[in-house]
Amino acid sequence: MVSASLYIIRCTAKNRLMVRLRRLREPRYLIGAVVGVAYFYFSFFARFRGQSASAARRRARGAAVNPFAVIAASGPAIAGLGLMIVTALAWLIPFDSGLLEFSTAEVQFLFPAPVPRRSLLIHRLLRSQVGMLFGALIAGLVTPSVSGYARLRLSLGVWLLLCTGKIFFTGVSLARARLADSDANARRVARLPLAAILGALAIVGGALYQRLMASPLTGPRDFFERVAEVSSTGAPRALMWPFVALARPMFATEVGPFAASLAGALIVLVAVTVWVLQSDATFEDAARQVAEAKDQQPKGKSARYRARSVAWTLATSGRPEMAFVWKAAMQTFRVVDVRLLARLVAVLFALSVVAVTVGQRNGLLGAFAMFALSGAGFAVFLAPQAVRIDMRQDLQHLELLKTWPVRAADVVRGELLWPGALITALAWTLIAFATILSGALFARLGTTLRVSIGVAVAVLAPGLAFAQLAIQNGMALLFPAWVTLGSQRARGFDAMGQRIITLAGSWLALLVMALPGAVAGGIVWFALSLFVGSMALIPAAAVCSGLLLVEVLVMTELLGPAYEQLDLLAVERPE
Amino acid sequence: MALALEHFRRTYGDFTAVDDLSFTVGAGEIVGLIGPNGAGKTTTLRALAGILKATSGHVKVDGYDLAAEPIEAKRRLAFMPDEPHLFEYLTVVEHLRLTARLYHVEEIESRGAALLDELELKGKENALPGELSRGMRQKVVIACGLVRDATTLLFDEPLTGLDPLGIRRMRETILSRGRAGAAILLSSHLLHLVEEICTRVIIMDRGRKIVDGTFAELASRADLAEAGSNLEQIFLRVTGRDAQV
Repeated sequence: MVSASLYIIRCTAKNRLMVRLRRLREPRYLIGAVVGVAYFYFSFFARFRGQSASAARRRARGAAVNPFAVIAASGPAIAGLGLMIVTALAWLIPFDSGLLEFSTAEVQFLFPAPVPRRSLLIHRLLRSQVGMLFGALIAGLVTPSVSGYARLRLSLGVWLLLCTGKIFFTGVSLARARLADSDANARRVARLPLAAILGALAIVGGALYQRLMASPLTGPRDFFERVAEVSSTGAPRALMWPFVALARPMFATEVGPFAASLAGALIVLVAVTVWVLQSDATFEDAARQVAEAKDQQPKGKSARYRARSVAWTLATSGRPEMAFVWKAAMQTFRVVDVRLLARLVAVLFALSVVAVTVGQRNGLLGAFAMFALSGAGFAVFLAPQAVRIDMRQDLQHLELLKTWPVRAADVVRGELLWPGALITALAWTLIAFATILSGALFARLGTTLRVSIGVAVAVLAPGLAFAQLAIQNGMALLFPAWVTLGSQRARGFDAMGQRIITLAGSWLALLVMALPGAVAGGIVWFALSLFVGSMALIPAAAVCSGLLLVEVLVMTELLGPAYEQLDLLAVERPE
Repeated sequence: MALALEHFRRTYGDFTAVDDLSFTVGAGEIVGLIGPNGAGKTTTLRALAGILKATSGHVKVDGYDLAAEPIEAKRRLAFMPDEPHLFEYLTVVEHLRLTARLYHVEEIESRGAALLDELELKGKENALPGELSRGMRQKVVIACGLVRDATTLLFDEPLTGLDPLGIRRMRETILSRGRAGAAILLSSHLLHLVEEICTRVIIMDRGRKIVDGTFAELASRADLAEAGSNLEQIFLRVTGRDAQV
């Protein structure tokens, strides 16, 4: 089975590479590849050269060569403690490692094959190595270090960590399944690891608490040193050993200690692997469930929708755009639990009230205000890229959409409305929070100015959101081959380059679109600020937002012919 | 004519999938479109449905040109593809409702209920496509096509994934729509089905029409007379596959 797995991996890698090389003959991929490679080069290698030069200068001045060495001593203990906490959380919060996620081809070819189930697990583990090795390699490359050995050491350490983590989380998933076993004894046995990790965490936590409370902390370095002390003495030392051992290779600075730490980490990896392979019967059930779920799943659909009843019935007459709004709303309601969302907003509101009431002194209010402000910024400027419940997602249904007797411009407009409304609602919520809490961050600004800015940004939000959505959808219609369908993402330098180009293009287009509104809004602000002061920002924003929305309306009409001309074959299928 | 295809040509780069194809389907006619794999049947049906654009040529539905007046033409068309394309987040009944909204269908509740009953989808009204078998998803697509009064029905392998009872019912459904006056174009590899329910047959090969006529007309042709009396024998002869059998 291992040889078959290696054959699959080799063929997949070879064929994928050939496909990517072959498609470079098309200019769109070639341009993407050039931009992607350039980005990679300037992000990593060019930076290394700069770092090497500055390190050489530091050496000449006698400064510390490797900033990483400062935390090298206490690093394994800190990382080990983090891993211990993550391990405990993995038992408490459902977590999927993806190791049981077999592709449709794997289900059809390997599941009926006369091989033991544990071989399938080994196959998935081997197959996941490509991604993990790439991740480890990138981690080694991006680390702020000057030595090639340090990069290799870190890459190996990260790979061991990722590998162990992946297997361990699969083991946790399997063990969690046993918690629901009908046999009481099996349930008790399944609870043991959870009890053990919680007990260990309590002991380590207790020791750490005592050590931290012994005297006031003098700084982060003092904190790191105390954690290292706790992890190297008594019971905590034994309890934290597997976690510290796993983290140690990433911090070893010499060849000898690194080899020794590698042996320790390998012992943990082997132990975890043996533990998971012991769960053969559960794996059998879990693998079968995954296979059945995959079999039931419609081709190419990965999102899990739940048939919730929603009190919104589509009327049989009315504007066609509203049919698209309703369709996208159903998609949202069936993938997002609205009640959970409402609870989340309520909790956020309650926390904000608490922060306003008691948090002024200890900076809690400021933290909330910063969170709301960042969230609002994300909602206005990045959510239109991320929320793809529009043409970008519906391109995979183009075959159906094209048969509908609907004006092309109405289709384009209809696709924008729901995501635009959703993003606006999110932005307004966060802007409201940010405005309410803004006093903690910008105490020097007067209340009128802060409220004026808040309201102005809220007025501007729909214009910006819809403009970006129009740009994104316009790109999807004009350059459909550069849009990835569904939840899968295209990979490779060419795809990365394409994403960079489209992102840069969309920002540029937004700037161009916002220019008339900014000029008109600026004139309004200039004219009114003499009379109403900072409140002039609100009508200025309204003018700017209004102009943006008019531009969006015109754009949807102009994009109509692009939709009509759009050929099914121009749409890129996921890899 | 309810459906007319005039000098239709479709190319993919250097490859010509369909070349100079012309035919008509009248009201009440059930025409079978058959041909070996890669003959251009699906390309033709997709072009007729407005999914693919013609490289050259015209498609007319009830006199409306699909390229010039797409909304009027599409309103009269119902395309049932071989691969069921459904929105994975809409239930069966919501698919019907969406269709009703887009095609201005009145009394969707009663029509939808009757159709779901006819297609044995009763009890599955609130199921998502992910909860349905492939055959049931195919039936939902067909229900969406039949819930409106389309004058022209295009079926691409309508029996794929259906159980024996479903096949029987689907055959009756197609026949009843034909009797009611709909122009029906049906593509299938099941030659006995085509022979059983179609009034006329078009055989395509390598993107071209090679035969167009009723079974009586085909049987009376001198060059086909010796091939045999059934459609399979005629098909193998005209496509030159009889020597390979």
